[in-house]
Order: sequence, then C-alpha cells, then structure tokens
Amino acid sequence: MGPAARMLVFVILALVTVRLNADTPDTVRRDPVRLKPDTTYAPARLQADATNVKADATHVPEILLSRQLMDQARVHVGDVVTLATDADGSHATRFRVVGTYEPVPDPRKFSARRLEAHLHLPDLIALTLDPKNPESSDQVSALNLSLLNPRDAGALTAALARRLPGMGAQSTSQSGRRDDPFAVLERFHEAIALVTVTGSTAFLLALMVMRAEERREIIGILRLMGIPSRSILVEVLLEGLLIAVAGAIFGILVAVAAQGLVNRFFQWRYDTTLVFVRVTRSIAWKAVGFAVPLGVVAGLAASWTLLRRSVISLVRR
Amino acid sequence: MTSRALAWRTVTAERPRAVLAVVGVMVIGALLFDMLLLSRGLLVSLRQMLDTAGYDVRIVASDGFPIRSAIPHASAVADEVARLPEVREVTIVRTDRAVVQIPGRRPVEVALVSLTEGAERRVWRLAAGRDLGSDVRTNSASPPAVINRGLAEALALGPGSTLRLRVIVSGAASAVPATTFEVVGVADFEFDSADEYAVATTFDAFRRARASTASDDADVILVSSKPDVESSATVAAIERRRPDVRAYSNAQLVARFDENGFAYFRQISFVLSSITLGFAFLLVGTLLTVSVNQRLGQVAALRALGLPRRRIASMLAWESAFLVGVGGLLSLPAGWALARQLDGILRQMPNIPDRMHFFVFEPGIAAWHLGLLAATGIAAAVYPVWIATRLPIAATLRLETIS
Repeated sequence: MGPAARMLVFVILALVTVRLNADTPDTVRRDPVRLKPDTTYAPARLQADATNVKADATHVPEILLSRQLMDQARVHVGDVVTLATDADGSHATRFRVVGTYEPVPDPRKFSARRLEAHLHLPDLIALTLDPKNPESSDQVSALNLSLLNPRDAGALTAALARRLPGMGAQSTSQSGRRDDPFAVLERFHEAIALVTVTGSTAFLLALMVMRAEERREIIGILRLMGIPSRSILVEVLLEGLLIAVAGAIFGILVAVAAQGLVNRFFQWRYDTTLVFVRVTRSIAWKAVGFAVPLGVVAGLAASWTLLRRSVISLVRR
Repeated sequence: MTSRALAWRTVTAERPRAVLAVVGVMVIGALLFDMLLLSRGLLVSLRQMLDTAGYDVRIVASDGFPIRSAIPHASAVADEVARLPEVREVTIVRTDRAVVQIPGRRPVEVALVSLTEGAERRVWRLAAGRDLGSDVRTNSASPPAVINRGLAEALALGPGSTLRLRVIVSGAASAVPATTFEVVGVADFEFDSADEYAVATTFDAFRRARASTASDDADVILVSSKPDVESSATVAAIERRRPDVRAYSNAQLVARFDENGFAYFRQISFVLSSITLGFAFLLVGTLLTVSVNQRLGQVAALRALGLPRRRIASMLAWESAFLVGVGGLLSLPAGWALARQLDGILRQMPNIPDRMHFFVFEPGIAAWHLGLLAATGIAAAVYPVWIATRLPIAATLRLETIS
C-alpha cells in the first residue's frame, strides 16, 4: 500500500462517521425491551405467546418489533406476544406482531442490541400506566421539536430552562463543544493519521534515497553531457509528481474498495446498518493534498543530495 | 568475517538510508505499541479503579447496569447483605443531581453524594478540613458537606464556606427548596473527573435536600467480601438471599464493559495494529529487496568466493534485525510519549474519571510488541533472502560486468 493509501485510510478513520458512546444501554438476562412510539419509551419484558394466536387475534392490539428482537425472541409476523413493564410479568398486555422494522442506526447505540418495539401511543400509555400516579398517562420521556429557525436552538434552550425548571433541551445539531465525544474521537484519529504520515515519510525518504543512489551514474553521465542540474531537477520533479499522483489515485481506489469491507465487517459484528467508514470527496482531496506534495518533496530532497556532488564522484565506480 | 559483521558494515555504509529506515520503524512501532496499550488500557484502568476502592461486589437494582435505576428499601437490603457470612462490609451509595446557586452567577451542576457513615475514607481522600461523621459539628445550623477539589477551586470554596444547592428533579417541574450546607472539608474523590463537581453529605442532609425524608432508595450498594471469600461466592450468596437485585463482581463488571462500551477501542486497536504490522512488513521488505537488488553483483561475488547460501541468508536476516531491532527498541519510549499525548486527547471526553486512562502499560504488552516486530522483521527478510540465495552466480557477474 502506498503512502497515499495509508494516509487515506487513516484520514478516513479520522474524519468519517465512526461513532461511539461508552454508555450505550445494555441488554441483559431479563431482556428489557425499548418501546418507541416516537418519543415515549419504557423498558418492558417480551414473551412469545403463540398458543393463543387464533383465539384473540382479532382483538389484540398491534405491535411492530425490531428485526433484532424478532430474531432473538424467535417471533414471526402474526404471532401474539405478551409485554410487561415489570420483571414478574404483572400488568402484562398481549399484542399481535404485524410487522418488523430496522431500527434507525444510532452511533450512540452501535454496540447495543436494538431490542425495541413500536406501539400505538394509546397502547403504550395503557401498558405503562401507574395507578398510583394519576399523571402517568400524560407523561413522556422526550419531545422532539422542529424550529422555524434552527438558529434559535440556543435561545429556546435558555427559555425552556427559565420557564420549566427541571426540564432540559438539547439541539440535535453538532454541539461544537470541544469535549463532544465525536469531536474528541476525530482529534484522536487525526493524531493517529499524523503519526502514520510521519512514519510513511521516513520510509518514503529512505526509498527515494535508495532510488536516487541507483541512478547516480546516469545522473553523472547526463551532467557530463552538459545537461544542467536544473533540467535534471525538473525531470525529477515531474517524475515525482507523476508517481505521487498515481499513488494518490491508487490509494483512493484502495480506500474506496476497503470501505465496503470495513463497513460489512463492523455491520456484521454489531448487527447494525450504521455506516462506519465513508470516503467522501473532501477526504479524498485532503489525502491527495497531503500525498502529492509529500511525494514530490521527498523525491526532490533525495535527488538534491546527488546533484550537489561533483560529476567525478557521480561517475566513479 | 561473520554474517553479523557483514550486515553491520552494509547498514553503516549507507547511514542516511539506515537512519531513515530506523526512524520509520520507530514511528510505526510506536503506533503499534500504542494500539496494544489501547487494546486493554481502559479495562485495566477500570479494574484498578474498582479494586483500589476496596469493594469487590456491587449491587444494583436491575440488569440494565450501568443505566441508573434506584434500589428501593436500600437500608433493608444492605442489612440483609451485611448479615451474610461471606460479607465483611457494606456501603450504601446514594447520588442525585443538584445545582449550586450563587447570586450573580450561572448555576453550577454537581453530583450530590451520600455514603454510609464510616465509608468515606474509601471513596475520597481528605485534602483540607474535616471529614463527615456523626461527631462532626458545623459552625452554623447548616448540615455539613465535603466537596471535591474541582468545585472548591471553581467556586473558591473552603472549610467554613457555605454552599446553597437545589436538587434537580428529572422530568418534572419542581419547587424543591434550596438547602444551605456548610463546607467542612475538601477532598479528592476516587472517581473524580475534571469536568464533574461533587458534594458529599450525610444521609439525613441528603434526604433533607431532596425534600423526601421517607425515601430510602440507593443507586448502588458496595460490598466488600471477607478476605478468604471469592467475589463470585459473595455474588451468588447475595442473589440467593435477594433475587430482586443484581450483584456483580468487579471482574463481571469489567467483562460487561468490555462487551459494550469499550468494544470500539478494542476493535480500533485490532484494526490499526493489523494495518501497522502489514505496513511495517511491506516497507521493511521493500527496503531490503531494493537494497539486495542494488547489490546483486556484490552478493554473486561473495557466493563465487565460496560464501555459502546460509551465510548470505544470515547476513540479510541480520540486516533486517538491525533495522527492525533498533527501531523497535526506540519505539518503546517513543510509543510511551505518544501514548501520553493520545491519552490526553481521549481523556477530553466528558465524565472520564481523573484516574482512568486509555493507554495503560503492562509488561506483557512490551514483550508482545517486540515479538510482533521481530516476527515482522523475519517475514520481511524472506523474499530478499530468497532472491539473494537463488540468483545465478555466473549470469549475474556477467551482467554486472557488461553493464
């Protein structure tokens, strides 16, 4: 893999959509299920209850289960399942599975098993109703807002904090904060890319020095023939430019090919449709912008040492 | 002349090339070393943090740990657990979010903490003032509080200062009144993070601040097993006695974090280590191959003089060993310096405790690192050795002469 490819791989790692969050919710022995009718959710237990399908199929409310939950619970469309919000299964409600869905990829949950279900809101309220709390039928976990002007997000957050103490609002756009986990990860990948480029440069220089040494006699003969050093340097420059551009293009092609493999591996590993690596145009240009000057400068630096030597020392065997 | 001496002469004859190759191996080796440190760093660091607190089992309300879910009737649970023959000590930890109110300034969010009396020394180290306890008396009628160093510095507080805070009631409009505390001590908390402030107080004051004197919920109950009892035995005993709660040993907690939150760093470490090794193999292999190709005449002459193939192969292996060996050894200090920088970047994430690190040194990792680099050096020398030992002597010498 050429330096451009190496660099590109790491720049990709640095700048694209590798996302994580350390506090992703976990699913454990009791298999809590997240119910998500838009913004209201509650943990619940799911139990397959296929024996009574025919008896109550027309009366039971409908439910959609995530693909992962369908697989894990070995439930099929048309089955009747029982959901309960507590571990002992009291206040359970039976639902008929009418379909399945793929959860929207969430970088903050990429390592969590997405055991989720969608219910109609009245069904969810009935399921999670707490008889001791009369307000429980009118409680939600979160509200999604769409602003007329997205730039008002900060003002809205401040206004909500003033008017509704205890409530918090957060913009879904990038926070821009320096301690944002994704921003931190981006800096981490950029640092790794920088180190890799440094190592590559050392190797590249070593190779170019060897290559220049290999052509010592040819350069000596050219200079004996009267060709000025500047012309030879221009030739080296053009040659280096050509090789660097070719290397950069090859590197981008390798990265484009590799992104599919990387995505498929991680999507298989975490059972998600999240895209982990994406070669964007800006990343490709950035890689070219690094690789081409680096290759040209390395070639020039290696040749310059030869051109400074006397002709006799160049042709001497 | 031995193969090693021949290799040394070859390497030192082209010093700029050798220096650049060693620098390249050093940088790539440093990255490999860091990725190996990263592969287990968080886990080792977390385990160290959990172990040094002195508790080997943690009781939580449900399997959804670390999602917060309160343990109801925590005192009763703790009493029952404390009576188990496997258990030496039990500490109830209660936390809540609160805001410190200062006239003319923006409220500062803090973690309000309450521990079972007597457990304070395990969770924080006092830096100034006095500790909490039944015998502590404040100058005013206000309840006592120990604050962490970060909060003390941010708000210029110290022993004797007063602190007015109001508990945040999540998800509901709240009119819980503010409570005024008197700071009796400043401490370094075991799980302090640079961006988190903490206020610890007594259980009574904690309940008063929450305006909920009847509440006996807790976030977690920490358990210390007797010295001759395995953590797993304590976990089993707790779950037998109280099936309504979940108990985890430190090892189980680390394993769960390994499966979930830390998986990303393990994966990225694996991917980058593999790429780095492949990269080092390709580059060292290329350098040696080009070097051999430049010296085909020299190698053929040595063979014609009667030098056996084995010695030629040995010479090239030594060349590889010099480049990779010196670069590999230099990569250890360079890698450690780089690891500190990368650790500094990753620790900018929010809520990372001060004592937690992403890159943690273990002696085995240095051995693994050098072993992997050695294997890479040997593998990289295979092809050049094959070229050098298989070349036709007469034809090579003839070609060398006429060219």
